[in-house]
Parts: sequence; structure tokens; C-alpha cells
Amino acid sequence: MSEFNLERPLIMHIDLNSCFATVEQQARPMLRGKPIGIVNRATEHTAIVTASYEAKAMGVKVGMKFREAKVLCPGLIAIESDPPKYRYVYHKLLDIMREYSAHVTMKSIDEGIIDFHYATPDVLTRDMVEIAHEIKRRLKEEIGVWMRCNIGISTNRFLAKTAAGLNKPDGLTVLTSHNLREVFCTLELTDLTGIAHRNERRLNSVGIYTPLEFLAADVVTLQKIVFKSVIGRWWHDRLRGREVDDVSSDVKRVGRQYVLERFDLSYDEILGRLHHLCESVGSRMRSQQKSARGIYVYGKSRRYGYWHSSTLASLPFYSDATIYALARRLFEKAPDELKEIGIHVYELEPLHDEQISLFYDEMVRERSVTEAIDQINRRYGDHTIHSAHTLESGVYVRQKIPFGSTRYL
Amino acid sequence: MNDETFLNERVEVIAVFGMGHHPCRPVKFRRASGREIEVRELGLRHPVFNGRRTVHMFDVTDGGADYRLEFDSEGLTWRLTMEADHYE
Repeated sequence: MSEFNLERPLIMHIDLNSCFATVEQQARPMLRGKPIGIVNRATEHTAIVTASYEAKAMGVKVGMKFREAKVLCPGLIAIESDPPKYRYVYHKLLDIMREYSAHVTMKSIDEGIIDFHYATPDVLTRDMVEIAHEIKRRLKEEIGVWMRCNIGISTNRFLAKTAAGLNKPDGLTVLTSHNLREVFCTLELTDLTGIAHRNERRLNSVGIYTPLEFLAADVVTLQKIVFKSVIGRWWHDRLRGREVDDVSSDVKRVGRQYVLERFDLSYDEILGRLHHLCESVGSRMRSQQKSARGIYVYGKSRRYGYWHSSTLASLPFYSDATIYALARRLFEKAPDELKEIGIHVYELEPLHDEQISLFYDEMVRERSVTEAIDQINRRYGDHTIHSAHTLESGVYVRQKIPFGSTRYL
Repeated sequence: MNDETFLNERVEVIAVFGMGHHPCRPVKFRRASGREIEVRELGLRHPVFNGRRTVHMFDVTDGGADYRLEFDSEGLTWRLTMEADHYE
């Protein structure tokens, strides 16, 4: 396989095993060895966010309703998620990773990548496998003895992540041209990150049913027939260990959603929760020094399914009051029997002085008030100052585990 | 679900302030009832920030139950805020 990237493997992907469940078992030793499911709310109707390995062995899967999981695993223990605990572990892991290279990218709260191409010579002369073992040991010493992680090492991000997904838990795999075929033999197409059912169908349509067949496909087939774009070439390179995923994405939207705690809430109570989401989104957006022009509101109704509405303002907005005023206007057309609501703002722009307009004084005043509120909340804690309308909703709409983006950790 | 009791109980704590990765370790605490609990293992210590105020959460066990002790770094007070045993 001469076309494979034959460079020294210098990309390391680190994935904390069943992160939230493992952290809870670390924090609470009496939970170790027991099947636990992390849930966002301690109710029978809640879904499992993370399951411990003991629970997974009994068939419990992420996303499963706790009630259904309990049938498979009668001894399953529900533990309500505790985001500050996971944030602490995230930062400890990040600190450890940054000691080896300046080029560290966290992909989510429980996984990250060290690119050793930019490491100092004293690190680069060391064996990568030795460093991986050291990181595993440090996790146990610096956080706790129950902490485990999977580590994958390869020449690009995609194969390093693939390697990190093998031999769970506590695995360590180096994936190179020497063992790539051997590893691909054991995988399904959908085991590859980025290949979900839609892409699987595309590949199946040209007779590609396994990762090995995917690897054998020529670039023209992938580019012209399967993916019908440059994405086909990227896949061709990706599978051969060439880097195509070292790209940083700018924040494009900021949002939050909330599954209503009861299905019989009044319209005004739901608005209170929407208002709370708007305050949270506003605060997050401003923490990135952004304002927005677009706003998108959605609701999931038990009877009418998914509903959404959006609008684009002519001038950028950033205050919680404006976000809520726009969201509320859109929300007037929301269907009944809602079970989930959400909002995000988009068309983000750097926060800078507004263009001179007829409303300049009013805008400067609004910005000053918003900045003063943000400063007070930073000093005395979130929601020290907020709208009276969200006085009661804060008990329910608490911050939960932020999946995906690590910008707000 | 599980057997957790949430509390807000002032407790007296003996802790060792040392070196290394876990510089503060509670060793023993006395509850309002007078019962003394010896800490067998510190599970995790993590900070929670409320504005500029920091509270350190210590999840500990005596081998029979898990406890959460909270140390308010501003008021220098310890509280027992959670007890959990025989998870069933």
C-alpha cells in the first residue's frame, strides 16, 4: 500500500471511557463495579446519557429510556448528571495533554487530540506508545484510580480516532499501513466516523459494503459517483492516513434546548422557560464577543411533531431582552402539547460599535446595561441578575452537559 | 432510582493539607449527631464556581457509604451535603 501515508504516526486521540459514568464511579467508590446510567433528570421517563461498562454489558445503550434500560438491567442505578465534576475532569485532561504539545484540540468534553508535529524535540524523541502509557498513568494519579481512557495513535485524526475506538476499555492501539487492513477486517462501514446510514447507502450503491472495499475504491469512483464532490477525494486520503481534518471551525451559531419537565405546563410557564433559554444563549453568545442577526426557535409537539420558525433582523442584536422579544414573537405560532423547546441565534458577527443610526443612543444604553449585568453575573454567579419572568424557571432549566462544542467549558 | 439523601449539615472536619496532586484530604468528620466518620478514600475533589466564590466539593467514602463534603473557601466552613448508601 505505497500510497498510504508512511510518516511516523504523530497524532494521538484520547477518549475517556464512558466518561460521565466513570467519573461518577471515581467520585463515589461505592458505585464501582455496579451498573450505572447517567441521566439528566432523576425520573423514570428520562433517557440514559452515559452508561457504565457494567451497564453496557447488560445491554444498556446511550439514548435508551431509563425505564426500558431497567428491564434489561434490573440493578441499574440512575445517577443525575453533575456537569461541574465533568468540566473539572475535562480541564485536568486538557492540562495533561498540553504538557506534550501546544497543538491540542478537544473534540468534546470527553475526547481530544494531541498533534505531536508541533511538540518540542525532547518530546518528539520519545516513543509515542510510552507517552500514551504515561498519560494513562497520569490520569489515575492526578484524577483518580478508576479513570481509564482509550488511546489511538496514527498518522491522521481519522485513523487515530478509529484506533481509539478499538479494544475498549483502557485500550491503546497504533494504526499504520502495517495493520490497517487487519483492523478494517473487523469493522463495519458504520463503525467509521463520518459514515452513518446515508453514506453507507451511497457506498452500497456502488458495491462497497465493507471498510476494506471502501479502502480499495479508487478516487474517481468516490469523487464522481459516490460523494459527487471533493468529499470523495477527502475520504480517499483520510483512509490512507493523510490529514484532511485539521481544520478549525468558527462558531456559527449558539443555542440551547430544553425538554419540558411536565407536559401540562401553561403557555406562560413555557414562555418562562423559553425566556430562560434566551438569557442563557445571550450570555454564551456575548462570552464569545459576538452579536447575532438571525434567530431560530423550534418546538416538538406530542401531537403535531416538529415545528420551527426563524427571522433575520436588519441590525445585529445581543441583549437578552431583544433575543427574547424576537423569540417570543416567533413562538406565538408554536403548536400545542409541546414536549421540547429550543432556540439558537445565527449569522454571528464580531461585537463592535454599532453603525450610526437613528437609534444610536438607545442602542448604546442597551449595550451598557447588558454589559453591566454580565459583569455582575460573572462576579456573583450566573443568574444573579435576570428577568423577573425567569424567577421560577431557573429551578428547572439548569445547565446540562454540553455535548459537542467545548467552547463554554 | 438510588438511595441518596441530600443534606445541608455543618460538620467538623479533620483534613490534611499536604503536597502532590491532592493537596487537601479530609481524614475524618463529625456529624451534628456526634457520629464520627473516618474517610477511607477521597474519590474526587472538584471546585464549583459561583461568580468569584469557590466551593470545593469532596466526594469521599468510609467504605460503607459515599458522602459529599463541601468546603467554602471564603467562609472556611465544611458542610455535609449528600450521603448515599446501598444503591438499589
